[in-house]
Amino acid sequence: MELAMMLLALAILTLGSVGSFKYRWIGLCTAIVALVVGLAACRSLYYGVFIFAIGIINLFSLVGIRSKIKGVDYGLVGLMALATMYIANTGDFALVLAALVLVSVPTYILVMVREGGANVEVGIKYITFMVFATVLFLIGAVILAYTKNSFDGLLYILGYVMLVMGLSLEVGVAPLHEWVPDVFTSADPIPISIIASLAKIVPFFAALWILIYTASTLTSSITIFTAVLAAISMFTGNIGALTSKEHARVLAYSTVANMGYVLTCLVVVIKPTPEFIGFALMGGLLMLFANAAGKIGFFNAIKGEGAYSPLMYLLAFSFIGVPPLMGFWGKFFILSSLVKVGLFMAEAGYVYIVVAALIVINSAISIPYYIRLASELGIGWETNLTNFIAVSVVIIILITVVPPNWFFEGMRVLAQTIGIGI
Amino acid sequence: MIMLYFLLLPLIVVFIAPLLRPKGATYLSSAAFLIPFFSILYCIFKGCPAEIHLMNFAPPIGEIYLNFDFISNAFGLTICIVSAMVALFALPYMEHRFEEMELKVESEFRRYIFLYDFYAVSMLWLVYSGNLILLYVFLEITLITAFLLIYSYGYGNRKWVGLLYLIWCAIAGVLTLAGFIIIAFEPLNNTLALSGITTVGKLAWAFILVGMLIELPVLGPHIWLPWAHAEAPTPVSALLSPLTVGLAGYVLLRTALIDYSFIEDYRMYILGYAIFSSIYAGFSVFKQTDFKRLLAYSTVSQMGYVLVALCLGPFGLIGVVIQYMSHAFGKSILFSSAGGIIAVHHGLRDLNKMGGLHDSIPAISNAAVVGFLNLGGILTVGMLGEFFILRGVVDTFLRPESPSFLGWTGSLPIILAVIFMFILSVWYGFWTIRKVFYGKPKDTKRLEISRYFYVPLFIIGIFSVLLLFPPLSTMLIQGLNAIPGLGGVVP
Repeated sequence: MELAMMLLALAILTLGSVGSFKYRWIGLCTAIVALVVGLAACRSLYYGVFIFAIGIINLFSLVGIRSKIKGVDYGLVGLMALATMYIANTGDFALVLAALVLVSVPTYILVMVREGGANVEVGIKYITFMVFATVLFLIGAVILAYTKNSFDGLLYILGYVMLVMGLSLEVGVAPLHEWVPDVFTSADPIPISIIASLAKIVPFFAALWILIYTASTLTSSITIFTAVLAAISMFTGNIGALTSKEHARVLAYSTVANMGYVLTCLVVVIKPTPEFIGFALMGGLLMLFANAAGKIGFFNAIKGEGAYSPLMYLLAFSFIGVPPLMGFWGKFFILSSLVKVGLFMAEAGYVYIVVAALIVINSAISIPYYIRLASELGIGWETNLTNFIAVSVVIIILITVVPPNWFFEGMRVLAQTIGIGI
Repeated sequence: MIMLYFLLLPLIVVFIAPLLRPKGATYLSSAAFLIPFFSILYCIFKGCPAEIHLMNFAPPIGEIYLNFDFISNAFGLTICIVSAMVALFALPYMEHRFEEMELKVESEFRRYIFLYDFYAVSMLWLVYSGNLILLYVFLEITLITAFLLIYSYGYGNRKWVGLLYLIWCAIAGVLTLAGFIIIAFEPLNNTLALSGITTVGKLAWAFILVGMLIELPVLGPHIWLPWAHAEAPTPVSALLSPLTVGLAGYVLLRTALIDYSFIEDYRMYILGYAIFSSIYAGFSVFKQTDFKRLLAYSTVSQMGYVLVALCLGPFGLIGVVIQYMSHAFGKSILFSSAGGIIAVHHGLRDLNKMGGLHDSIPAISNAAVVGFLNLGGILTVGMLGEFFILRGVVDTFLRPESPSFLGWTGSLPIILAVIFMFILSVWYGFWTIRKVFYGKPKDTKRLEISRYFYVPLFIIGIFSVLLLFPPLSTMLIQGLNAIPGLGGVVP
């Protein structure tokens, strides 16, 4: 039934994209309808609602840009959102990888979207990196899946490293982040807001899923590799953002830092794991949602040459991790998972406590540049699309004013799909 | 349950006050804190339910509830009266500040009063939070609202100072949070509800202590404090110094009441550091040329008292509570006095240009004397604070049954150092009064000043004196004594 509804959503999306060649608004309407159908098919409602909200806001942000592929771009965003929703429904290895590709490929086209033309130079740079990343990820995933059936230590480590490297390149984890500042500064802010928000969720989810699915006795030894990458990424991102002046560049490095935080979720994947994973999954997802909301808000403010000042400050505080905004809960649950696994591992757990301490230090380092962003992008109130989008994303980050007990409950369903009980 | 509504009242007013004109908003804000103030007084005399349940959260967060014991009531009482009075004081002061900054008074006041009320109410809720995560949430709201007030309306390089404050205190907050998370995952606890926590491990204690020493602050991580207190708009300084920094003492007190073993293990190190910090900061006061900066160093010195008291067993812990109150009353009066001088004498802050101000502004001068009496522990509630700290010294180091018994020869240096610490406060207090308000006047003309600049200060002053005498003092001390871990019972 769920699969049928997803297929129906895809059919609506395809027809809408075709129809949008004549009437562009058809693309937007059908994408919205497809997302509604997709949401109805979601097994985990809370997860689905967040993806739905982020997808819809991304769709509306595209209204303000007159691109050559107007109409089809709605279809591409719709496809990404549907794939992101569906990954939480499936327990099938092949479909998880398919979802990854379905989210990755539309961004190749979206990145080139700009007013009245195509940004080919940025496109080529981006696609080169992405193809390489996706191939690394897929080969890593396949090797890991192979080791599940016939275990080989060397192969497992190779697969793990390739998967994490592929993920790092895909989402922009340092030191594989070279493309991020370049692409973020030279492409149009609107497509970048989509790449920095919606496109980040599936790679992490897929990596987490695969690592849990294929976890072995070797995993706890190799997680140090991921921990080091996460630490490098946090520091590179935050120091890069601190020393950058251009808004898009600051946000690019902020993405690198945020991906470092989220990468720490993978560090806690050890065997046997369920109780730690619950927190890691919840923290990682909240962090990704908060990152998505913040990036959409800030990039739209760059496009619209400023947005309402209090909204910008709220987004900045969410990134910094001020409670009770969503960014705080993301960091809180990630820290919780690290501390819990650190205490569980007793003497060998110091790595996890060190990673937790690094997150704490990096949260503090990030304060000046987020406040600077909010201060420079904040202007008085005007009724326009930019402020509409800013209000929408601020609502998302304010949802956790009600402590996300409810989200934890929702995560149980999601965890069962991944094959763990929390 | 009625207490919940009284606490909700200022929270609702946060959103209503900005809709009113400055005068109406000020009176409403002041009333919103005075009503809970009287209800807390009623609670102290007549008693009220110890807890109000709010919601249950999945482990390891656990039950979220409001805690109405005497410690919370003592802190709450202080926060309410100071916030209410400083709100009144701020009316002419902030109008004057907005004009100085060439901002639209009415529209800017709306933004200011929202932040001010939110700032004060978050402190009030913090001390009633029965769950450490709720406490942390309010700690961070306090930080952000104070940051925005400094960033928007401060003096000098206000944006830089605001960020300095935000970064230091965010580090303090997150370190404390890390400590809380470790507490939550202790198998014996599995909760962050205060009533359910039975043990605080050394790692968690270390995180919380380091975080709160930055927030308190003691010598070393105190770098942010003189800047933040001096450059903040004065009503914010008058909450930041008296109320906010002392909340670090509150967090440490709550942690100590759960598990005192860490303090027992490292008592002499912490105590030595606290006494050194207090005396060093006390001497630093004499070196200052800016009145607000002088008061800021006095805060570092006074917070040393809080840390000293924390190390001194059950009686010392009562001293933490009383010291918080007396410092809050004294310092809110003094910062407001500094604000009065700034407003009346066109931005005057330089001590070298002051002298003989009593002739031109006698009301503010008299209020400042009451403020310093509080800091010095003379005829005000501060006297009780010093009594309990000394009682704590005697009980910890001179009582033969005490595990830290040192005998007369061993404890004499500690007793002398603590007494010297007290004398130093009186010394710099009267030195400052002489330098600022007495001596040869530069201008003998008596100035007409708004009543808002001194009446609220006298109300705080009168309350601080009333608290020294029965029935207020007896009810409060009896109530505090009844809490396990405070007073007669060894925690």
